[in-house]
Amino acid sequence: MTAVLSAPPAAATEEGGLLLTVAGVEEAAPGIRTVTLRRPGGGLLPAYPPGSHLVLSCGDRRNAYSLTGDGMAAPEYRISVLLCPDGDGGSAFVHALQVGDAVVAAGPRSAFAPVSTARHHLLVAGGIGVTPMLSHARAAARWGRSFELFYGHRPGAGAHRAELADVCGPRLRAFEQAAGLLDALGAALADQPMGTHVYVCGPAPLMAFVEETAAGLGWPGDRVHAERFSAADLDPGEPFVARLARSGGRVPVPAGVSLLAALEAAGVAVPSMCRQGVCGECRLTVTAGRPLHRDLYLSPPEHASGDAVMCCVSRSLDDELELDL
Amino acid sequence: MTTALPGTAERVARFPFPFAADTYRYSTNVEPARRTVPTAAGSWGDRVLDVDAAYAAELELRREVLQRDPTRCSQLPHMRVAAWDALMTLLPELAATYPGAMSLQQRGDRWLWRNDLIGSSTSFVPGDEDSLPGGPLRLLGSQIQEDVVLLDQREGSLWADAGLVTFAADWSMGFDVGMRFLEVHGPVPRVHEAGVVQRAEQFLMRLQPGEQYRRTNWTMTVDRRLDSSTETYPEWGRDRRLVVDDPALPDRLHLRVEVQHLLRLGVSNAVCFLIRTYLLPLRELATVPEWRRRFAAVLAELPDDMADYKGLTLYRGAAVDWLTAG
Amino acid sequence: MGALHTSVPRWPAEIPAVDPAGRAVALLAFGAAGKRLLTAWRAAVPERTPVWSHVVDRADDDSLGLLARQVAEARVGWRLMLAGPEVDVLAARSVAIGLGVLDAEIRMVVTGAARKRVFCPHCRGTTETAAPVAAEVPCAGCGRRLHVYGHVSRRLGAYLGFMADAEEVA
Ligand code: HEM
Ligand code: FES
Repeated sequence: MTAVLSAPPAAATEEGGLLLTVAGVEEAAPGIRTVTLRRPGGGLLPAYPPGSHLVLSCGDRRNAYSLTGDGMAAPEYRISVLLCPDGDGGSAFVHALQVGDAVVAAGPRSAFAPVSTARHHLLVAGGIGVTPMLSHARAAARWGRSFELFYGHRPGAGAHRAELADVCGPRLRAFEQAAGLLDALGAALADQPMGTHVYVCGPAPLMAFVEETAAGLGWPGDRVHAERFSAADLDPGEPFVARLARSGGRVPVPAGVSLLAALEAAGVAVPSMCRQGVCGECRLTVTAGRPLHRDLYLSPPEHASGDAVMCCVSRSLDDELELDL
Repeated sequence: MTTALPGTAERVARFPFPFAADTYRYSTNVEPARRTVPTAAGSWGDRVLDVDAAYAAELELRREVLQRDPTRCSQLPHMRVAAWDALMTLLPELAATYPGAMSLQQRGDRWLWRNDLIGSSTSFVPGDEDSLPGGPLRLLGSQIQEDVVLLDQREGSLWADAGLVTFAADWSMGFDVGMRFLEVHGPVPRVHEAGVVQRAEQFLMRLQPGEQYRRTNWTMTVDRRLDSSTETYPEWGRDRRLVVDDPALPDRLHLRVEVQHLLRLGVSNAVCFLIRTYLLPLRELATVPEWRRRFAAVLAELPDDMADYKGLTLYRGAAVDWLTAG
Repeated sequence: MGALHTSVPRWPAEIPAVDPAGRAVALLAFGAAGKRLLTAWRAAVPERTPVWSHVVDRADDDSLGLLARQVAEARVGWRLMLAGPEVDVLAARSVAIGLGVLDAEIRMVVTGAARKRVFCPHCRGTTETAAPVAAEVPCAGCGRRLHVYGHVSRRLGAYLGFMADAEEVA
């Protein structure tokens, strides 16, 4: 135990991600596969706020799946994935995993954490949207937060029903008919004490129902939290070529590699500090081509003029970007 | 630890000299943590928590300050999980950095913390306030030289909702607790117009679980006074004037550098802000010719509003004179 | 000091309207000028929206207790509107926020900013004064001359004061 504990949290986000092995696969419900992941050598995995994703490399794409634990550092991560025959292939990849397979994941990402000042947490899950809610419910139970969970699923297809009943006790309200769920939700949203926050994850119509009903009942947006799997912050970007105007060099920038890293690898020294697009150190002058700005440093007019680029995060809209280097 | 009392040599060798140029302006100067920075006299920066030869003395000082003024540790009720999270993140970090001297072990529900450097040991049940009188932040503050602020994230902002700060450079944790990040920085000149703190907040709000960054900040302090908080200003304010004509000025005036770490805690989603304060008297700083020249240049050039805000106005001329006379 | 960007509240130049999204509205006004604003708000509240409304002299234990009880009964969808001198509005906002109300649920208008509470970090006392920012006021707790600083705590509803002559004294 001690040895594991003294691993500094830095190991949490090993650059290049976490190498994991599949330690278990089971059927959570028809078409839903629960996969348990561990470190090959054992040991604790990084803690995460409830509602976080694990970003798995699934063949040539990266997909985000909700972690279903309470978020405390533990030896395993679990995800539950619904097979989507028409999806992008990520779910088929996960469903094909066998015990012993190796997978690569980025550290957990949080975008759907509980609000710490909330007096009460109203959790709403539809179908496979239950996965982040299982995490929320577990953490809420562990820390003694006031909560209840509304869970709608198809008859007999309720993933994690038994675990949820265990974790939530009478705070679980499960529905096998959409109409029943929506009626109960409408009534609940109309009568919550000040300080309540609502969290929803599920099919688009359920999310829309909660958001619209809440808005209609006067809930401010700050109390309504909808989980949308967005790929925005995972975007590795398109490949392009950096042309060096003064030295005449050409540096290819592959997807997933920053312009700064590509220049450094090519032996071009560029000052840098944060590598996050905020400090202003790595600014380069653009002499041709249109930059794709992803930084927070340059002002909107500077972004519009297109003659400078923060090379640690920004890329190119065109196939080539010419730099004053 | 076998290190003897810190002589000039060690203090200088480990000093995080913050100036990369002859002029200084505010910027969102964040960089990844744990990267060693070579300086003209040595290096710093390979660790998040830094124990040096002043360890026991500074912890004792913190204990005294807290005893006189418990409001230096302020925590709003909803920061309970974050406070435990900070403790359970930073004690293992400390043990990993000083494995011979400290350890954290689990025995059933209870965790045992042992620290041979100060000969202390304690046990507690994480999440159970009754098992730890004083609470997690007070225990944490009794083991690390760093001050701690915990920021909650909600309503599109960060909120400084808890902290244990006994070594503040001219501000008050007790007054600031509960403020938004931009409100905390309200008194700072220039940074709002320049977008520095807005960018900083955006950056911090995007930090992912386990990510760790750092930055430096600096000011000056008369004498080795770590507690130069607003609370005790009546005790130390006059020294800013008295030092000017004091022949001991080069020994009394210190460059004060804060190494500030910014960590996203995993369990609670709080941002943990660690402030570690290093003080180096001008006389020791001047033993490194490059530092002496550069600090003189920075001080001489610093715009008046920034010098005023940092409280340097009365003595900066005298400091520049001494630094450039040698 | 950076007057445009501080923790010092910047009150809107225009009187805020009643939030049409609110399902129930609480109006709390301090003093005569506050009462006039409250009356206008009351008239603007949509017909079937329940209104709780009170006019009081100042933010004291009684009136703040009244507000706290109203928040405790309120359901999400509720809005709070405050009108009156800054010192009272800040105190009421502090109570509401401490009970879980969000900035997004509160609209405020200030009828005067002369009176303020000044917190002394040296003795932790609070002094009421009409002194403007950057002026001096004697601390009611420790007697020190306090410089009224442009820094406001939403939690305390008070300005920071610090010893004005700390650098001059012998
Ligand atoms: C990237 C992050 C940050 C940046 C760029 C930043 C920037 C600054 C700057 C430029 C100053 C003026 C310092 C001086 O001249 O001596 C300052 C002061 C201060 N900062 Fe930050 N800061 C950051 C993070 C934080 C965090 C996380 C906290 C935690 C609450 C914090 C609390 C303060 C306080 C209390 C002051 C003193 C304000 C006063 O005079 O009352 N800062 N900061
Ligand atoms: S390195 Fe900081 S903006 Fe690019």
